[in-house]
Amino acid sequence: MKHLSLTARMSLMFMFAVIAVLTVAGLSFNELSRHHFMMLDQQTLDEKLESTQQILSNTRSHADLEEVLPQLKALLGAHHDLAAIILANDGTVLFAEPLPFNIPEKYRLNPDHGMWAWEENGHMYRGMTAQVSTPDQPAFLTALLILDVTNHVHFFETLQRWFWIGLVISALVSAALGWVVARSGLRPLRQVTHVATSMSARSLKERIPLEPVPLELQQLVTSFNAMLARLDDAFVRLSNFSADIAHELRTPLSNLMTHTEVVLTQKRNLEAYEENLYSNLDDLKRMSRMIDDMLFLAKSDNGLIIPEQSRIELSEVATKLIEYYHLLADEQGIQLVVTGSGSVLGDKLMLDRAISNLLSNALRYTTAGKTILVTIKSTASAVTLIVENPGETIKPEHLDKLFDRFYRVDPARREGSPSNAGLGLAITRSIVAAHNGKIWCTSSNGITAFHMEFPPATILGAL
Amino acid sequence: MKLLVAEDEPKTGTYLQQGLTEAGFNVDRVMTGTDALQHALSEAYDLLILDVMMPGLDGWEVLRMIRAAGKDVPVLFLTARDGVEDRVKGLELGADDYLVKPFAFSELLARVRTLLRRGNSSPTQTTMKIADLEVDLLKRRAVRSGKRIDLTAKEFSLLELLLRRRGEVLPKSLIASQVWDMNFDSDTNVIEVAIRRLRAKIDDDFELKLIHTARGMGYMLDAPESE
Repeated sequence: MKHLSLTARMSLMFMFAVIAVLTVAGLSFNELSRHHFMMLDQQTLDEKLESTQQILSNTRSHADLEEVLPQLKALLGAHHDLAAIILANDGTVLFAEPLPFNIPEKYRLNPDHGMWAWEENGHMYRGMTAQVSTPDQPAFLTALLILDVTNHVHFFETLQRWFWIGLVISALVSAALGWVVARSGLRPLRQVTHVATSMSARSLKERIPLEPVPLELQQLVTSFNAMLARLDDAFVRLSNFSADIAHELRTPLSNLMTHTEVVLTQKRNLEAYEENLYSNLDDLKRMSRMIDDMLFLAKSDNGLIIPEQSRIELSEVATKLIEYYHLLADEQGIQLVVTGSGSVLGDKLMLDRAISNLLSNALRYTTAGKTILVTIKSTASAVTLIVENPGETIKPEHLDKLFDRFYRVDPARREGSPSNAGLGLAITRSIVAAHNGKIWCTSSNGITAFHMEFPPATILGAL
Repeated sequence: MKLLVAEDEPKTGTYLQQGLTEAGFNVDRVMTGTDALQHALSEAYDLLILDVMMPGLDGWEVLRMIRAAGKDVPVLFLTARDGVEDRVKGLELGADDYLVKPFAFSELLARVRTLLRRGNSSPTQTTMKIADLEVDLLKRRAVRSGKRIDLTAKEFSLLELLLRRRGEVLPKSLIASQVWDMNFDSDTNVIEVAIRRLRAKIDDDFELKLIHTARGMGYMLDAPESE
């Protein structure tokens, strides 16, 4: 069955099913008919035997028998397959009409009520034996009634022959029908295949319509559509990514070109050239860093960022980073405060980077003279690190998009240093995601807070 | 100090040779892995700078054969590919350091000097002196012109780093990594602030400036006499 087509499989199965059903039906019909004929025979024999008993019960002696014989013959004559034998209780045959039978001895004097059957000269017979009692003589006579049932046997033989012929024909017809049914039943599958075949990168937006698809195929189509959606999403992201790179690199590249060309248009003093080279160096560094960051994000998108799993105390990380950033904070009169503690399993370098990005981000937007608060909380189910800074409230519609690469709340404004390409929060998010954590931002009443949530060190199994 | 640069990209190779020569090294340059192997086996170099992707033999193959020949000259790899497995492979084969292109030349120079210093480590000094600045590394105290200078722990570490590598331009990334254990590019001007503060304490009150800015590249501690 392995290499058969679905249509062939279904036709065959259909055929086998029909054969099985017909066989069961045929056998049952056969059995029922046999039973029915037997009942009919028994009924006939019962009736006739009763009448015979009735007729014979009026005889007192063997001589009286002659008187009732016409009556008996009339009874038997109405049924030409029927024969009767009357025996005296010593076994002598008093009457045998229409034929003398060689009835097996055991049935001759069988007093049991019940039908017996035997075969002779290609004929099938059924018989019944009864004892006739007169008021003064019990078991005076024995009456045997015999019914020729050869016709029934012939009937069954014919029936069986036709049954087999019918079965073969039905099997062939059902296989053919099955093929037709399967083919038309599988038409939606071919349609789905057709749509799937015509898919290309351009048509990833297309979906296979669910309405005309039968129930059984809906799950397949839904899965297929979901796959298309994932492909489309990845494709769109890839396209955006390429577009972003092109766009973001275009600015520094254009600076480099313009600046260099302008400097070269006329002879200048040494300082001018030096100045140009320094400026170029700045732009080049910016581009280099951007490429590094983009590569990091590309790797994380492809699940290639695999953090180490060592136990990291977040308060130590935060304290270290604050030691670094406090120089910058001092300049702006900003306070940096860490409270709480909690440890997670993760990659020290990556977590450093993620939290560092949040801190430098907070420093960029905090009003001078205020305090940036880093709070670490540890519960049984999660370790959270919150970086809170007072600053301009971010509108709700921007909150989710903050983590998108190159996203800026105000597109026209390049906030902070020129090296801030808008990748910091995207990198932070991918690091948090690589650590099975979550990150989100809340902003209200002039307080912006970035929340990072990690599974606690114990859940992943401490080292 | 004699270096070998194996780099198949002509522009990169030329600039590396120029830069390293101007930094005071004696530099040979080859463009294929086969040449690199031949040079490395026949001449005594203090350091090899190998590009991973080269025609003929690649950098890893060259390194493998050099090590097989029993040479333990330090090797610094340059590569355009930044895969963890690449890095691991290089280090497993016995590379001493690894730089991903694009890199800053100042960064390369700093690493080259670190590698060259390794091995012939100078006896641990407890005091260092440059011009009229004296630093006691054990007591963690700095004195300039007989006047005690009050430094924070990080400021002292920064000064110590600059002193230990006097005359070298130290890139900001190296300073951040050595002093603050920040092993990634943090794209802020923290180092500038730190240097400015250190300058305020070390240099501002004195005629002779010790801390110098190499614009766009990093910082250096130096005094005219020590050259």
